Amino acid sequence: MYLTKEEERIYNGECGWANQVCMKILVRLGELFNATKLIPISSAHVSGVSYKTLGDAPTEFLEALAYANTKAYVKATLNPQSFDREYLCKKLPQNLFRKQLRVMEYFEKMDFVPSLTCTPYYLEKPEKGAHLAWAESSAVVYANSVIGAWTNREGGPSALAAAVIGKTPDYGMHKAENRQPKVLVKLGTRLRSDVEFGALGIFLGKVLKDEIPFIQGLQKASADNLKQLGAAMASTGMVNMFYHCNDTLKSGIEKISIEAKDILRTVENLTTTSKQKPNLVFVGCPHCSLAEIKLIASLIHHRKVKEETECWICTSRHIQEKAKKYVTKIEQTGARVITDTCVVVTWTDKLGIKTIMTNSAKTAHYAPTMNKAETVLVSLKESLDAAFRG
Amino acid sequence: MLPTILKGRKIVEGYCKAEALVSTKPISFLGGVDPADGKIIEKNHDLCGECVKGKVFCFPHGHGSTVGSYVLYSLAKKALAPKAIINQTADPVVVVGAIISNIPMTDQIDIKQIRSGDLLEVDADKGLVKILKRKRG
Repeated sequence: MYLTKEEERIYNGECGWANQVCMKILVRLGELFNATKLIPISSAHVSGVSYKTLGDAPTEFLEALAYANTKAYVKATLNPQSFDREYLCKKLPQNLFRKQLRVMEYFEKMDFVPSLTCTPYYLEKPEKGAHLAWAESSAVVYANSVIGAWTNREGGPSALAAAVIGKTPDYGMHKAENRQPKVLVKLGTRLRSDVEFGALGIFLGKVLKDEIPFIQGLQKASADNLKQLGAAMASTGMVNMFYHCNDTLKSGIEKISIEAKDILRTVENLTTTSKQKPNLVFVGCPHCSLAEIKLIASLIHHRKVKEETECWICTSRHIQEKAKKYVTKIEQTGARVITDTCVVVTWTDKLGIKTIMTNSAKTAHYAPTMNKAETVLVSLKESLDAAFRG
Repeated sequence: MLPTILKGRKIVEGYCKAEALVSTKPISFLGGVDPADGKIIEKNHDLCGECVKGKVFCFPHGHGSTVGSYVLYSLAKKALAPKAIINQTADPVVVVGAIISNIPMTDQIDIKQIRSGDLLEVDADKGLVKILKRKRG
């Protein structure tokens, strides 16, 4: 791998231990994937923030980096943590809360932006064609497919290293030749609701190997529909991008057809219980957009959440502040708008939640193992109807 | 008899002489190795119950969460880490873990030639693994 003189100095430890470790991570990963150089990035997004998924192991590493006076060189946002600051921080054990605060203290000391969201693109939308080093698979697919930015699916540590150095190895999704569609997906059905976009993603993630699909029949999909599709596709597969419109296709590529029954069966398989009375109705995986918050507010206006049911709407603090008027309306119904976290990265089991109903195929995929919960996957409208009276 | 020499690729530099601990299965450090004592806890793993401390840990490749890299760091801080790591095919999780923990690492080694208990000399700078002494029996 070719290194500039400055990169070489960092690699040899002339700029301190922390920078050297970060540079080594990038160079070795680059060598592993046959990159020939490092390229500058416009932003990094780091996963591995929630103490629930991290445990104690990384805290010491983050502490060592933070006290070596390491700083993020480019804008670097953070994935959700395990608590919000209003509700869950009071309901869950305080020792867990303290451990989470320690993790956050180190990240903030290193100048990471405490965005605490899986949708960093709502805070600042990357430029089309910008090179990024993002972890959080749903954001990676969204950036590549909907925004048109270029990023590999980083792991927590490699995104951290890229944030500190401001560069990433030039391989994979950073190369135009690796961003070509390789499979034509023919949809033999019209997708009718948000949950069906998620189901399509789950199905595709399983059947695609490492080939980028061009999906025909998504012309009318909204950005939020595509967000559901991408998040689900990343949770069952390794493909980091899909095409959905206006792209010229080379002839003679492999084709697969997806029928209504494939979508239906996928939704059914992600529902693990016939119970229609969930303890928790959850919307906001990935975190809600402004448009989704507005839609939810209009759907539940003047209604009340059922007793013994919790209804969480998860989003970023950024969107919550932008949508204040709608957030107030939602909270008047007894539902909670929760920021900084989500179901998958917090301890719903410690709150006694055994059945989760959601419109997110990604959550339905993870909740049985990550939350030890039964899941019911239905559309946004149906899930709100289950949570509300009237 | 001359020692068997296996040639691979340098991932993280360093040198050591230690006993081999060999698995035919990939391992996830997150959830697969207990950061408190270095014991392998992955159910149905062929090394379940064994301790990685001070060994030349040989396995095909890692899998699972990238948090696994931090588990290696945590082991190293407590002096519970392997002395070296030998892989068939290096993967990002283990590579990053070895870099941040300063554990000598080599890949592209035919680990089927090595048995648990063999005495190995690892010269990761050159990507060399020497089997100095076969385990008896």
